[in-house]
Amino acid sequence: MTKKKNRSMIQRRLIPTYIFLTICSIISVFPLYWMFAAATNDTVSVARGSIAFGNQLMVNFEHLKTAVQGTLWSSMGNSFLYSIVQTVFTLFVCSIAGYGFELYHDKGKDKLFGVLLLAMMVPAVATMVPLYGLVSKAKLLNTVWAFILPGISTPFMIMMFRQNSRNFPPDIMEAARIDGLSEWRIFFKMYVPVQKSIYAAAAVITFMNAWNAYMWPKVVMSDNRAQTMPMFIANISSGYTVDYGMTMLGVLFCSLPTMIVFFVLQKQFAEGITGSVK
Amino acid sequence: MTLANKQLAAGWLFLTPATILIFIMSFYPIIQAFITSFKTGKGVNIQFANPLTYNYSRMLQDVIFKTSMKNTFLYLIVEVPIMLVLAILLAQLLNNKDLKFKGLFRTAIFLPCATSLVSYSLIFKSMFATQGLINSALMKMGIISENINFLGTAGTARAVIIIALIWRWTGYNMVFYLAGLQNIEYSVYEAAKIDGANGWKTFWNITVPLLKPTIVMTAIMSINGTLQLFDESVNLTSGGPANQTITMSHYIYNQAFGQGVGNFGYTSAMSFVVFILVAILAFINLKVGDTRD
Amino acid sequence: MKRKLISLMLVGAMAASMVACGGSDATSSNGSTDGAAEGAAADVQSDDENTLTVYAWDENFNIPALQAAEKDYQDVNPDFKLEIITQSQSSDVESAITLAAEAGDYSTLPDIVLFQDHYFQQYVTNYPDAWQDANDANCDWDGLGAEKLSYSTVDGKHFGFPVDAGTAIFAYRTDLLEQCGYTIDDVTGITWEEFDKIGKEVWEKTGKYLLCMDGDGNDLFYMMLQEEGVSQFKDGKPYITENKELVQVFNTLVTLAQDNVLYLANDWSDYTDQAIQGDMVAGVFNGNWIIPTIKKVDSNKGNWAITTAPTLTGKEGYASNGGSSLYITANCSKTDLAKDFLAYTFGGRSAEDGQSTTYDDALLNGGVIGTCAAAANSDVYQQGVEYFNDQAIYADIVEYTQHVPTVEQSDYHYQARTALATALINVLQNGYTPEQALEEAETNLKFEMGL
Repeated sequence: MTKKKNRSMIQRRLIPTYIFLTICSIISVFPLYWMFAAATNDTVSVARGSIAFGNQLMVNFEHLKTAVQGTLWSSMGNSFLYSIVQTVFTLFVCSIAGYGFELYHDKGKDKLFGVLLLAMMVPAVATMVPLYGLVSKAKLLNTVWAFILPGISTPFMIMMFRQNSRNFPPDIMEAARIDGLSEWRIFFKMYVPVQKSIYAAAAVITFMNAWNAYMWPKVVMSDNRAQTMPMFIANISSGYTVDYGMTMLGVLFCSLPTMIVFFVLQKQFAEGITGSVK
Repeated sequence: MTLANKQLAAGWLFLTPATILIFIMSFYPIIQAFITSFKTGKGVNIQFANPLTYNYSRMLQDVIFKTSMKNTFLYLIVEVPIMLVLAILLAQLLNNKDLKFKGLFRTAIFLPCATSLVSYSLIFKSMFATQGLINSALMKMGIISENINFLGTAGTARAVIIIALIWRWTGYNMVFYLAGLQNIEYSVYEAAKIDGANGWKTFWNITVPLLKPTIVMTAIMSINGTLQLFDESVNLTSGGPANQTITMSHYIYNQAFGQGVGNFGYTSAMSFVVFILVAILAFINLKVGDTRD
Repeated sequence: MKRKLISLMLVGAMAASMVACGGSDATSSNGSTDGAAEGAAADVQSDDENTLTVYAWDENFNIPALQAAEKDYQDVNPDFKLEIITQSQSSDVESAITLAAEAGDYSTLPDIVLFQDHYFQQYVTNYPDAWQDANDANCDWDGLGAEKLSYSTVDGKHFGFPVDAGTAIFAYRTDLLEQCGYTIDDVTGITWEEFDKIGKEVWEKTGKYLLCMDGDGNDLFYMMLQEEGVSQFKDGKPYITENKELVQVFNTLVTLAQDNVLYLANDWSDYTDQAIQGDMVAGVFNGNWIIPTIKKVDSNKGNWAITTAPTLTGKEGYASNGGSSLYITANCSKTDLAKDFLAYTFGGRSAEDGQSTTYDDALLNGGVIGTCAAAANSDVYQQGVEYFNDQAIYADIVEYTQHVPTVEQSDYHYQARTALATALINVLQNGYTPEQALEEAETNLKFEMGL
């Protein structure tokens, strides 16, 4: 009896919290609902901000399939390829760096880390021309390398891995060394397996950034065969006349993968972030 | 090679790929940009300026650059505090043991930052359009009697940009605070309760200090992001009306790629100023937030 | 040497990260990424001697025109192929030229690019090595419209082949005019003052604006000046405060906006989606490429008509806005093929032979109206358009094209438009007097030009 009363009291105390969180959630999700609704409407209804579902989904899909020389699926494929390759390389390069900076740290490395952090503040627009020059001279335009190279090593990721490495006890490394394990083996056999959640968090962030990247890919991936999903959307959503129903269906295609990745990895994501803010 | 040397070598080897890449992909271009910032002229006609600091003194007379700087700092001063406070508040509410549907709320509030830029800007533009959802809702509620052109008037256009930023990034920051809060032992709160501290006191005296490293980190990220703000200015308002919402990065981009042949000497100089500004603010932030001594 | 060093550094950095992968799962994906990288690594140049590549934008407008040209030229050369590489907007093509030029390597460019008219001159001045002239192409330049060619001709040499005319039209909603007791003839050949009077009436009776302007393009200043045969520039310098017509045009726009006759859209999408397709306006004044946007709203079928624009003096006004042409880049090794293809199609050779597939199909599939005089005789151009109440609008537009005055151009064309739009907002929202606002616009424009 008392227990029950207690529970309902707690619930009552939390009602304002629920209301507030529900309002915030609705505000956050509403535009996504709108995206779904818009994908089923014709262009004039979308432009007029209709929020009801329409019956144009299949029509929009037929248009979308033939847009930009029919490159919908290849753009999806490219986006997946580039984002996955980007994620693999970023995770590897930044995790060994974060690991090295934390567990082998000395004065020199700390100084170097400080210098690398400066790179976070370099405005993208300033580096565009020189970077394009580099990639173009190396004959890498329209390749996956052009896409990933500038984003592989980022100070933010290195910092995240470095923070997480703090809870990896140095004693284990000493013990492993005595057992005769090489430095690389210690990393792969001892460190990587216990850091799964930070890898998941880093993967979510990197994948999301790579998937949504637009400015740089637009510059180096000018060939339609190499174009990414955001570029595909840009190609159909600018011009003298825009079919918004079709565009929003494209946007829906473009948004689903990042959402799915987040849904699937969200528990590990939260845990990984937890480690990095210790 | 002795064991110690091997360890030393391994330690440096771990850093090598990341370091080399950052040097090539960030430092080499910014040095190039720094050199270019002393040049003037376009295309094949580019040459070292006389005096060398020509682009930098030009900036001081550039009305639009000054406007863009004012706008950017306005966004920074208004948006970052609101967003961070809201994010901490949401994190605090979600960090309640008795709360149900936690995962649902967390996902919903995080989702905006996973939305692609195109859809997000389309949605906001259409919602705040003269005949859009917001206008018709306000009309129905009787708050306004005539449609407002939100994006066409300086004050409201700036407000829309700030709202859009808050919408998009609060959830992202919230996740970091949520993580930070989970690192705080529950016993600390219990102890505070026994000492008779109320909710507000606990929050201010325990939560905030313990979250300090996270706050510093998110603040630096937000400052960096806001000072380099580009997407919202370009996609929501095109910098208008009359350049009253344009950001520094947007103006630089316009000068480089947006209006014919780029004036790369000038844009490099402006970019360099942005770089220095971000560095200074980040440094101040680190000093203020330094708890170690 | 430098180039080699950079390649080495990059490859070194990649190799370092790959070798370091060791036994990690990154290795397993290496094989597949390399393969895929090669698959995606497509040069925008084609090795085939009958294939040309071209950068273009707008799937609903320019690209159907290019496809029409490809089909047309296959009559001459059945093996001919045109590989169209879609870009999201005109500025992408401009950036591609800029970046290739700044990197000092034109080999990344396609054979041909579609390029905005107003920008071409400054790209020749600043990157002269990026282009090949087409002066000796086998076509009748005189038949392509003098005003249009003034953009693509540098030092007397022809560089470009016109795609669309950009001739301005003034489209009115005749049903709404009728409600106020006016016909299309009542708004033809009037002064802007008379236009303002009608506009006020339309606003009061129907709640619609009689005119609108896109906040990114800020087209009205330029078009209204061109009607008067005046430019925003004189002898290469900004011509604003001293320019009597410009001051009049500016004051007209202030009045129109204050009288709710002119709606100032925030940007391009606000202009097309809200103002035009959202049924906020009873009149549209812009380049004829705006027609497909107007036609998107089925419910207004039969209610639109086009005519010429009002002027300061009350004569019929002709102007042009936008439009682009095709240019051969320095990277094209099949120059003769490119020139022959362009001369035959957009240069109008096939149209003169009485078979204007390029122009007819461009119009039918993309709504693109060319400048070629010979093409205008075809049935497609002469027929009535159902949406416009069976008015033969294309023939009318070709007729307008002949009257558009040529005015002084400048590399700072768009900057001038932006400066004037800023001045307009400053008067309407920020309490400036027109004199102050124009003064400031002139100062800022001069600053931008380094004068």
